[in-house]
Amino acid sequence: MTARSVSWTDAASVAQLLARASAPRAAVQTFKIANASSAARPIPPPARAPAAAPVAEASPRAISVPPPTRLKSQFPAPKLVLTSDNPSDCVDALLAWTLDHQRCTGAFIADDNGLTLAAHGISEAHVSLVGPLLSALVSVRMIPGIDATAGALWLGNNMMSWVESRNERGGFCLGTVGSEPLSSRAFEQLKEALEITVRKL
Amino acid sequence: MIDTKILDTAVQDLRNVLRDGLVATDIWERSAGLSLAGFNQQPVAVALFTRITTELESSLTDSNFPPLARYYLLDMEGNHTVAVVNHGALLQGILVDNKRANLGILISVAIPRMLETIARAQSR
Repeated sequence: MTARSVSWTDAASVAQLLARASAPRAAVQTFKIANASSAARPIPPPARAPAAAPVAEASPRAISVPPPTRLKSQFPAPKLVLTSDNPSDCVDALLAWTLDHQRCTGAFIADDNGLTLAAHGISEAHVSLVGPLLSALVSVRMIPGIDATAGALWLGNNMMSWVESRNERGGFCLGTVGSEPLSSRAFEQLKEALEITVRKL
Repeated sequence: MIDTKILDTAVQDLRNVLRDGLVATDIWERSAGLSLAGFNQQPVAVALFTRITTELESSLTDSNFPPLARYYLLDMEGNHTVAVVNHGALLQGILVDNKRANLGILISVAIPRMLETIARAQSR
């Protein structure tokens, strides 16, 4: 009894107990909360947590939640700016912009026959499926009110997302491959970027 | 009348688009076999492809096949691809290194641009 009462009054033991009981638990819960909102997504290195508050001010049950980590597709992508009139440069710039600002592991630009103009992270054989895909959608567009110039297709291992734009010489397709389909906002960004590029082809 | 300045511009544009993938190109009059513009011009190729195109067109006609439209392609040894473009009275041969030039750019961008520009040159 005596030894027990002595330990509870020992300042060093109390500080040690507090440190064990409060700080690590808060850290674990923060990690779980951060992961719950972004499960199964590629996560960039987490932002450094704000400096810990002094132990005396923090309640043992307080959970510090850092601002949610934003994925690159959640940032508004800057508008594509083409500095060259050369079609090859324009296509390369569009591909680089897509890879930089959209959540994808690969991207491509193809014509409406499925012939690759530029690609990264996807084989030309896979890109060629754009030909029959876009042909099939011609009849879908006959239905009033159906645009069908963007979509996503499950390839078996990856999801291909694509948008289509046309100029007087024909149709062109910008696509990405990744684990998930792109958001509707990302589709709008891709379509705008493709339209800017197609005007220069 | 054919505006040869526009033909030269078209050849320069083709060089810009295909860059070091373009090995040679000629634009020539089909009837005379006379080259009007080009880059790294190949007189033997002009004669050869005039003959091949004439034979091809007559063979298609004799077989009741649809006539030649915009172009035909030959895949050759040594990573070489030839596109022969039908501009009507003019023909154009484009020899590319298919490891350096993207065939998608050639077919979907370069050839349509050439067709438009050379049609403009012939309408002058």
